[in-house]
Amino acid sequence: MENLDFARLQMAFTLGFHIIFACIGMVMPFFMVVSHKKWLNTRNPLYLELTKAWQKGVAIFFVTGAVSGTALSFELGMLWPEFMKHAGPIIGMPFSLEGAAFFVEAIALGFYLYGWNKLPEKFHWFTGIIIGISGVASGILVVSANGWMNAPTGFDYVNGEYINIDPVQALLNPAWFTQALHMTLAAFVATSFAVAGVHAFQVYRNKRPELHKKAFKIAVVFGAVAAFLQPLSGDLSAKDIAERQPVKLAAMEAHYETDTNVPLYIGGIVDEEQQTVSHKIEIPGALSFLAFGDFDAEVVGLKDFPEDELPPVAVVHYAFQVMVGIGTLLMIAGLLYFISLKYKSLLKRKWYWLLFVFLAPLGFIAVEAGWVVTEVGRQPWVIYGFMKTSEAVTPMPGMEFSFYMYVVVYLVLALTVTWLMRRQIKVLNAVKD
Amino acid sequence: MLYVVLFFLLFSLLLYVLLGGADFGAGIVELFSSPRNKRTTRDTIYRVMGPVWEANHIWLIILLVILWVAFPAYFNVIVIYLHVPFVLVLLGITMRGVAFIFRHYDAIVDESQVWYNWMFRISSLITPVFLGMSFGALIGGKIILAEDFSSYSFYDLYMLPWFNVFTLLVGLFYAALCAFLASTLLIGETEGEVRKIFSRKSAYFTIALVLLGFILIIYGYVQEVLFIQDFIHNPVSLGAVGMSALLLIPLWRAIKRQNRIASRYLAGLQVVFVLFAALYAHFPYIIITAGKELSLLEGLPPHSVIQNLGVMLLIGGGVILPGLFHLMKSFGMIKIFRTGEDEVGQ
Ligand code: HDD
Ligand code: HEM
Ligand code: HEM
Repeated sequence: MENLDFARLQMAFTLGFHIIFACIGMVMPFFMVVSHKKWLNTRNPLYLELTKAWQKGVAIFFVTGAVSGTALSFELGMLWPEFMKHAGPIIGMPFSLEGAAFFVEAIALGFYLYGWNKLPEKFHWFTGIIIGISGVASGILVVSANGWMNAPTGFDYVNGEYINIDPVQALLNPAWFTQALHMTLAAFVATSFAVAGVHAFQVYRNKRPELHKKAFKIAVVFGAVAAFLQPLSGDLSAKDIAERQPVKLAAMEAHYETDTNVPLYIGGIVDEEQQTVSHKIEIPGALSFLAFGDFDAEVVGLKDFPEDELPPVAVVHYAFQVMVGIGTLLMIAGLLYFISLKYKSLLKRKWYWLLFVFLAPLGFIAVEAGWVVTEVGRQPWVIYGFMKTSEAVTPMPGMEFSFYMYVVVYLVLALTVTWLMRRQIKVLNAVKD
Repeated sequence: MLYVVLFFLLFSLLLYVLLGGADFGAGIVELFSSPRNKRTTRDTIYRVMGPVWEANHIWLIILLVILWVAFPAYFNVIVIYLHVPFVLVLLGITMRGVAFIFRHYDAIVDESQVWYNWMFRISSLITPVFLGMSFGALIGGKIILAEDFSSYSFYDLYMLPWFNVFTLLVGLFYAALCAFLASTLLIGETEGEVRKIFSRKSAYFTIALVLLGFILIIYGYVQEVLFIQDFIHNPVSLGAVGMSALLLIPLWRAIKRQNRIASRYLAGLQVVFVLFAALYAHFPYIIITAGKELSLLEGLPPHSVIQNLGVMLLIGGGVILPGLFHLMKSFGMIKIFRTGEDEVGQ
């Protein structure tokens, strides 16, 4: 493998790491303030205990998110100097606003974590809300910067120069809304099912079920609602891509031949050499309909794009299948939760809790898969249609060492954080009701 | 608007050096405490720095964003040639941040605390050293701006500029500055015996700082480092250094008298003078390579970008600064509004 490949792997790995902590950092504060509010309303000490336990989780995840994010801010330049040289000024606006949002978040976090019994109760609670809102705002802003890489606007490209820059138009690029909506929902789906799963496991083991059922309920409600909206928003994203990035759409669907009334493939094994897909299930006309809202619409196939502008088809196709599969599953799980509100006997069944334990990691797997679709599907471009990834990479050789180092450091970190979370739960369970 | 952007660039640099520096320094002070005092130092750091340490480090991110948006050509040189020390800085920041939070938020207190503590102390020392070395590399005159990267060795392009005695001295100087800031800050946060400890520490680190600064200048002069030579021949820079030397006298007395507030502001002022002296002689040529001096203001992006960034910074600053001020005040970091009883500080 070359330097470029290692630089890409490192980018993918560090972003894939950061996104987990970023999602939790965006969503956990909301659980925390709901629990906190319930404590203020009911004065049930279980809620106070839960709030404080979640607050420690927020602090640990926040810091891991912050340090990995700081590393990313350097990395964008260190790995892709040519990209940042030209793109930096254009997408400066979301990043400078994001900087402001981080600051607000860090200030609010300082108030919240250290403000117990020091600040007025209402104000203290309110600082928790600010953490959540500014977290979501920073998420939306970075995704808008990524949207610009998919749908570059707000400049004129003349003789290799990027001129007439309009930062506002770059911020509000055509992809920003669909991507930001889908990502925000994804953060809620992934974090909610993960947190709900952790607490469902404790209920399943019959460890302080009173407490953990309360926690489960707060988390799963967010997740169930978001999981319902997720496929709708995904459909918007797909329609958007059909128009702006037809190659990506074709790669997602492993669709080689240009045709009308195109079937949708479910599953399937892609052979990139032969340009065929075997072992698939076909739904007639569905792709034409999903992409353009018309069963007879024409969808351009991969064979009709220049060979050197094709992304790796198999990876993108599999990742897309994984995301959509999980999306469907989690929507059904959300439905099950709402049914269990009516038929309370379900809550007594062991399998009900076990099911949510198995669902716990799926949301995050879908998040990673979704980013693979977006980012790998954009290849070989870093700025779609304007700059290739190979033109952007750093001239410094030896990227493999840097990549291996990040892998080791982040794996150790991830293991430590998991271990710390287990200790939090152990302590929580050790209390006698 | 360019001036607004430049103001925020220098402002966030100053605040990162001051606040981030005090934060790193706290770990260095802990590292150099006797085993008996480590515990006290640790608890004091948590109480004082805890609420604000996260915010202190965002200045670095702001600095970075301003650089890449408004000074892309300049940023480009930094990220290509300082790749290696930056990786080390990032490693240090990561270790330090997580160790700080692990040791205070781990639900079970057991032997793992020993790990967190050592990780925190050691990364607190090496991170500012590598930061200082990176800055040293920018002004050290050893960077080779290559047209054809393959005609130079890895060592010449990516190691030599930052890996030499001059940059090491700059790194140590910055680490000493951090420790000096932290110990002086902590004087104001403690009482009785403990305060005496910090005031002694502060005195030691002041001496270390002055000595290192002296060695740095002599070494740079002897080795004919352009930056140092120009610095010495520039009356304004020299004046600023002279001012900071003069200020050492009241600072020294304030430290001896364990004065809470005066020592803190005098220490901050020292940093302002040192930073000003360092930047003034060469501003805006803050990269000095083997061949030429690069101006910060070279290759600026179009006017619309600067305009937009300036407006964003003004709005952001308007939202953030009052909030930050309130946070620091609420947790007693800013003492100026308290009544005289602190001032005497016996
Ligand atoms: C919990 C996570 C999750 C789930 C269940 C889904 N997605 Fe997703 N998807 C993401 C998480 C995600 C993501 C990680 O958030 C992405 C990556 C980039 C982005 O904006 O969102 C994404 C990207 C993404 C894209 C590419 C957008 C682009 O490149 O601009 C499409 C077309 C879809 N999704 C479509 C769907 C559909 C039709 C789903 C049906 C169930 C679905 N997603 C479920
Ligand atoms: C956190 C969620 C994200 C994940 C998981 C992610 C994932 C990836 C992956 C897998 C690649 C490698 C693609 C390949 O080389 O085949 C990549 C590349 C890249 N991503 Fe993302 N991405 C994320 C968000 C972003 C954002 C928000 C930005 C910028 C604002 C960004 C900027 C880049 C750049 C510059 C590259 C390198 C160039 C390229 O390969 O196209 N990414 N990312
Ligand atoms: C789609 C991808 C991304 C999303 C959704 C996202 C979201 C977030 C969120 C919500 C946080 C707050 C951390 C927390 O509360 O735990 C955060 C932190 C951070 N992110 Fe990302 N991020 C993404 C990609 C990036 C990229 C590409 C960069 C670098 C340019 C970056 C830079 C940072 C920085 C510097 C922080 C730390 C801020 C602090 O100290 O509070 N992020 N991110």
